Amino acid sequence: MPSIDDVIDSPDELDDEAAEDLYEAADLTQDMMGEVCPYPQVEAQKGLQEIESGDLLVQETDHVPCTENVPKAVGDDADASVWRSGDGVYRIYLRKN
Amino acid sequence: MVSQLAIAAVVGLGIGACLQKGRFCFVNAFRDLFAYKDTRVTKGVIAAVLVTMVFWGTAYQLGYYQGFWTPGWGLTGLVGGFVFGIGMTYAGGCASGTLYRAGEGYVQYWITLLFMGVGYVAFTAAFPTLQSTYFASLTFGEGVSLFEISPVPAGLLAIGVAAVATLVYATVLGREHADTAERATAASARPATIVGTPIVGLQRLAAGTRAYAAGVRDAWADPVAASKRPWDPRSAALGISVFALLWFTSVSIVGITGPEARWSGYLLSLVGVDAGSFTYWGSVLFRGAGVGLTVDMVMITFLVVGAGLAAYWSGDFSLRMPRKRRLPNAVLGGFAMGAGSRLAPGCNIGNIYSGLAELSVHSFIATIGIVAGVYVMTHWIYREVGCAI
Repeated sequence: MPSIDDVIDSPDELDDEAAEDLYEAADLTQDMMGEVCPYPQVEAQKGLQEIESGDLLVQETDHVPCTENVPKAVGDDADASVWRSGDGVYRIYLRKN
Repeated sequence: MVSQLAIAAVVGLGIGACLQKGRFCFVNAFRDLFAYKDTRVTKGVIAAVLVTMVFWGTAYQLGYYQGFWTPGWGLTGLVGGFVFGIGMTYAGGCASGTLYRAGEGYVQYWITLLFMGVGYVAFTAAFPTLQSTYFASLTFGEGVSLFEISPVPAGLLAIGVAAVATLVYATVLGREHADTAERATAASARPATIVGTPIVGLQRLAAGTRAYAAGVRDAWADPVAASKRPWDPRSAALGISVFALLWFTSVSIVGITGPEARWSGYLLSLVGVDAGSFTYWGSVLFRGAGVGLTVDMVMITFLVVGAGLAAYWSGDFSLRMPRKRRLPNAVLGGFAMGAGSRLAPGCNIGNIYSGLAELSVHSFIATIGIVAGVYVMTHWIYREVGCAI
């Protein structure tokens, strides 16, 4: 039985602890607070060009659609997961393939 | 009037909530299609238009409707639509997207709205000149809806158009599938035939629909949790179509920038400007009935409230301050949307959503203009990282 997550094709969600640990271990962080579409997508693509395979890029954003758009935009270049704070702040974790 | 206000509140809250939950963004729908060949939101937009077309066509055929919006057709749709498409891509939100994100707490989109207002005012001031130099020379024919002139009953016509659109989509889907299958097996067998391709596509469409239905059934197991998660754009599309049907049968077609342009005149009249003396506000937008609050203005206000409530419920509401370097997007993008929507006339909702759903000749042209504008602007914004299409 497919879940709604299969249907909307959203990236994996991280819990608070995993999100914090990964955030501290990130190789590149991008502050995307206040930025709206499509600039976080463009910056994510540029950021992935700067880091090595296996490295982690984290974007912190307050723009909801980015949690879906950015993973879509980077496609097969990175594995994506997201963390939702619950009060309008999100982090997008991109592990470069 | 009281019942109309109640309907305006229900429709506004409903559409606002559906837009927010589905992240129903017309810029996203076309921009990400061009930039990444990502069609998820595009499908939601097409589904919303087709379902609404069938609802409205049937309601029109049965006599339950309040009239169409069919401006004269010509190159104005192409020019104005193009300016609007450029504006909405630069601003990062269309007319409906700007409203629902304003409700989500984005200060950036309040600024966009403000400069859309400046665009309406600038257009209104220039209207007497534009009427003779622009509209008169670029408008070729009386506006008309195909529902009115077709010998086929409107409901059947709508179902027919929706069926043809589905078949075209299935063919595209089938061809994509054939392409991947061919690449995967590298076999010499030719899977794609003229008849076979749409059938493969229809099968895939059916499988997608079954998966969607299963997802919805699953979501019903825990409706409260599901209501807090983001929705599939198809769910949002269905919801919007139902509220749009209610609006169509009781008030009019759904529009955004028309009511917003009325708001601009109304607000100026509150601070002492004689808005009624401007031709565009006085005789066109308020049709000589005097500058005041109209029911569609109330509806779009409730749309912002509905989006705000939905965002708050989902944990997505917060007051978001814009970056200084994005102010040009709000200022120039907003102005281009305001002015462009008047030059067309009509925004993405008036033309792509409502206009196509009511089969208005004007809106077919304006839609081409808007999509062309998004295409050009997308290529400019992604000039450093490249576009797929």
